[in-house]
Amino acid sequence: MERRSALVTLGAMSLGAASPKLETGEILKEPYKLTKQTLKADILVIGGGTAGVVAAIQAGRAGRKTILVENGSQLGGTTTTGGVAFPGIFFAWGKQIISGIGWEMVQEAVALNDDTLPNFSIPHGKNHPKHQVRLNGQLYAMLLEEKCVQAGVQIRFYETPTQITFQKNNWVVETVGKGTMTQITCNQLIDCTGNAYATSIAGFDVLRESVTQPGTLMFKLGGYDFSSLDVKLIQARYQEAIQKGELVKTDFRNNIIGLLRSAGDNIQHVMGADSTTSETHTVANIKGRASLLQTLRFLRTLPGCEKTKLIDMQNETAVRETYRIDGHYKITQADYVTGKLFDDSVSYSYYPIDVHDENGVVPDHLAEGIVPTVPLRALIPKNSRNFLVAGRCVSSDRLANSALRVQASCMGMGQAAGAAAVLANMQNKTPLDVSMSDLRKLLEEHGGIVPGTSSKG
Amino acid sequence: MRVLKINRLFAFILVPLLVSAYDSIGQIRYFRTPTIALKPDTTLAFIAASQDSIANDTLFQIRSKEGYPMAYFRKIRTSVCFDNKCRLLKVNLYWTSTGRYLGFDLPKGEFLSKAEHKPFTPAEYERMSELLADPLSLLATLSYAELAPQVKPPDKGSEVDGVTSATAKNVLEYVVEGAAYTTYKMWHVVYGSTQEDVARLTEKSLSPGFIQTVLESPDLTDKIWALNHIRGFIKLTPALQNALLGFISPTDYNQAERAIQAFGAGDLQANTIQQALFTKFREANYALKKLIINKFKEAPMLDKQVKKAFAEDLTLLNSELISNVLDLFRKHKVADVDTCRMIAQLLTNRNDLIAQKAFTYLNATQSMMR
Repeated sequence: MERRSALVTLGAMSLGAASPKLETGEILKEPYKLTKQTLKADILVIGGGTAGVVAAIQAGRAGRKTILVENGSQLGGTTTTGGVAFPGIFFAWGKQIISGIGWEMVQEAVALNDDTLPNFSIPHGKNHPKHQVRLNGQLYAMLLEEKCVQAGVQIRFYETPTQITFQKNNWVVETVGKGTMTQITCNQLIDCTGNAYATSIAGFDVLRESVTQPGTLMFKLGGYDFSSLDVKLIQARYQEAIQKGELVKTDFRNNIIGLLRSAGDNIQHVMGADSTTSETHTVANIKGRASLLQTLRFLRTLPGCEKTKLIDMQNETAVRETYRIDGHYKITQADYVTGKLFDDSVSYSYYPIDVHDENGVVPDHLAEGIVPTVPLRALIPKNSRNFLVAGRCVSSDRLANSALRVQASCMGMGQAAGAAAVLANMQNKTPLDVSMSDLRKLLEEHGGIVPGTSSKG
Repeated sequence: MRVLKINRLFAFILVPLLVSAYDSIGQIRYFRTPTIALKPDTTLAFIAASQDSIANDTLFQIRSKEGYPMAYFRKIRTSVCFDNKCRLLKVNLYWTSTGRYLGFDLPKGEFLSKAEHKPFTPAEYERMSELLADPLSLLATLSYAELAPQVKPPDKGSEVDGVTSATAKNVLEYVVEGAAYTTYKMWHVVYGSTQEDVARLTEKSLSPGFIQTVLESPDLTDKIWALNHIRGFIKLTPALQNALLGFISPTDYNQAERAIQAFGAGDLQANTIQQALFTKFREANYALKKLIINKFKEAPMLDKQVKKAFAEDLTLLNSELISNVLDLFRKHKVADVDTCRMIAQLLTNRNDLIAQKAFTYLNATQSMMR
C-alpha cells in the first residue's frame, strides 16, 4: 500500500471510531456542558418539606414570585419521604388551633382517600395519637405539588444551596443539582431545611445538642397474627439476642412486642440520625436499613413469626432533631408548657413534650387548656436581615423543640414565615420590622389562626 | 343475622335497668346515663354474626315504641384465664344504639371479684364502668400477656381474676386493681366484634325520625355517628335539613364537616337549601368555606341568587378561595355577562396570581359561549 493511501485509510478508520454508527431515530448529542443559570425571585424557600411547602404556597398565593428549592424528588419531607404521614395535631381542647394552608391540604388528602377524621371534639386524654390524622403519604405529595404549581411557585427538585451571601439588600444563593448550577437572587429567604442548613451557610449561628433524638426508618411488616403470639417467649428470645450481641437494644426501644404489635410504623430508633448533609444522611439511612434487615431475620426465627414479611419501607430515615437557629427569641420549655402568649405570636403549636431517647419516649402532656404559641422572633436568626426560618429548626430549647418539631406546628410556622416574607418584600423591610397587625391580617385572610386577638377555631 | 324471637317481657325488665344505676332486686348493675331519650318497648333477639370466645351468641336489641333501636345487650359467659387457670365470668353487657358502652349488670347472686375472691366494692364497680366507657383505653393495644409484670409473683391460688398475678404498673391506670384480666376481658368484649354487630343492626333500622333523635343526643360521638348515617342511608326531611344547617358552624369542625358532607346532590336541587348553605358560607371560617364551595359543585345547577352572591363576594376572598369559586363557575359553565363583569374586576388586582386566574377564566368563557 502506498504511504499516502494508507494514511487516508487510517484517517477514515479513526473518523469511523469517533462517530458511532447511528440507528434510525438516534441523534448524536454534544457532551453536556454545565452552564450557570441566573434566576430572580421575590421569595426563595429552601427545603420543600412540611414547613417549606406551606411557606412557598403562602408566598405564591399572596402574589409574590416564589421559588422553592428541594434536594429530594418530591415535596412533603417527613410526611411523605419520611413516611410519618400523620401530621398532627391541629386541634387542642376541642378547638382548631392550626388551620390555613396546612390544614387545607390535609383536609383534601383525607377527602380524596375517603379517610375519616378523628372526632376532635372528644379529648384524646393521654393517647394523643388518637387526634392524629392518618394520610396517604404519596397522595399527599402529589397534592402538595399541585398546590404549589397552582400558586405559581416554581419548584426546583434535586437542588441544594452551596453558598448564600447578602448583597445589596438581596440574598444571592448558589445552588447545584443534577446537571444544574444556579444563582438565585431573592429579596427574602426562608430556611425550611429542618436542619438550619441555609442559616448556617449564610453565616448565622446555629445550636445543637451533644446528643440528639434518634431518627426513625418507617416500614410496615405483615405475615403474622399478633394475637396468637407467645409474647413472653418472644420477649425472652429478644432479650437473649440482645445479650448475645445479635440485636441492638436501642434499635427498637428494647420493645420487640411493641414492634410486632404496631407491625412496624413509627417504632424504630436510629441513634444519632442527622439529615443535614449527604454524608450524615447516608449514615442514617444505612444504619436504619441494616438494623431493620437484621431484626427481620431475627423475627423470622420466632414461633408464629416465621412468615414475617416486609410489606413496605420508606426510602430514607426520617430525622427528629439536628440544628436550631440562635434566634431573636428562644422558646423555652417553661414558655411551652404554660402556653405563653407573646406580643408577636404568629402561630399555635400543640403537642406533648416528646423527647425520644435510647429508652423510647414518654410524652409529657400539656395541662388542660394550654396551647403554646410561636413568636415571630423565634423564626428570625440574630443579626440577619430578610431572612426567616420555619419548621423544627425554630429557635427553642431542647424540650420545647421536642414538641414544636411536629408537622402541624411546622405548617403553622411555615405559613407565618411565608406571610412575614411577603410583607417584608412588599414593604421593603426586614421581617422583624413587619407590623403584627399587617401580619395578622394577611395570615387570617389566608385562613391562618393567629394567637391573641384572633380566636381559635 | 337471624331474628330469633320477640320477647316483650324483656321490655318490662329493661325499663328500670336503663333509668337506674344500682341494685334494687339483689342484682348488681351499673349504667351510664342514657343519651337518647327513648323508652324501651320491645326486645328482639339476634344471632350475633361475629365469632368470638363468648359462649352465648345472642345479641338482644331493645326497641322503643316508635320501633327505633335504643340499646343492645349480650349475656356474656366467658373464661378469664391466666397461667392455665380459669374462672367463669358471667355478666350482661349493654351498648347504645350507636355502639357505645352503656352499662353492665350481673345475674342475681353473681359478683365480680379480685384476687383471692375478694368481692368488688361499690367504688370498684363504678371504676369498672368508667374504664369500660373509655374507647381510647390503652387496653386496646395491649396483649393479654402484657397485663402482668415480667417477673411473676408466687402462685397463691388456683383461680384467677386478676388474681394470681400482680398487675403491670403501666396498666394500673386502665384496670381495676387486682382484676386486670377481668377488666381487659370485659373491655375487649365491649369494643370487640359485637360493636360491629350493633352497628349493622342499627343501620337496618335507620329512619329520619331515629336520626333526628340521635342528633339531639348530648353525646358528641352519637351526633357524629348520626351525621355519618344520613347520606346514602336515608332521605333528608325538612326538619333534618334544618338540623344539618344548624351543625354548620365554626365552633365544631367535625360536626360542621360531617353536616356539609351529609347533603347530597338531590338535596341541593332545592334553591332554598342552596341559599341557606350560602348564608353559612358567609359565616364560616376558611376551612369550612372551602368545603361549602366544593359542596356546590355537586349541585345539579347553581341557583341564580347563589351565583350572584358568590360573584359579589369575589373581591373579598383570598386567591385560593377565588380560585375555588372560579372552579365552581367553570363546573356550572357560568359565562353570563353580569358574572363575567364581576370577575373582570379581578383583572386589576394587585395580586398577579388573582389577576391571572381571572384572565384565564374569562378567556375560557369565550369557548364556553361558542
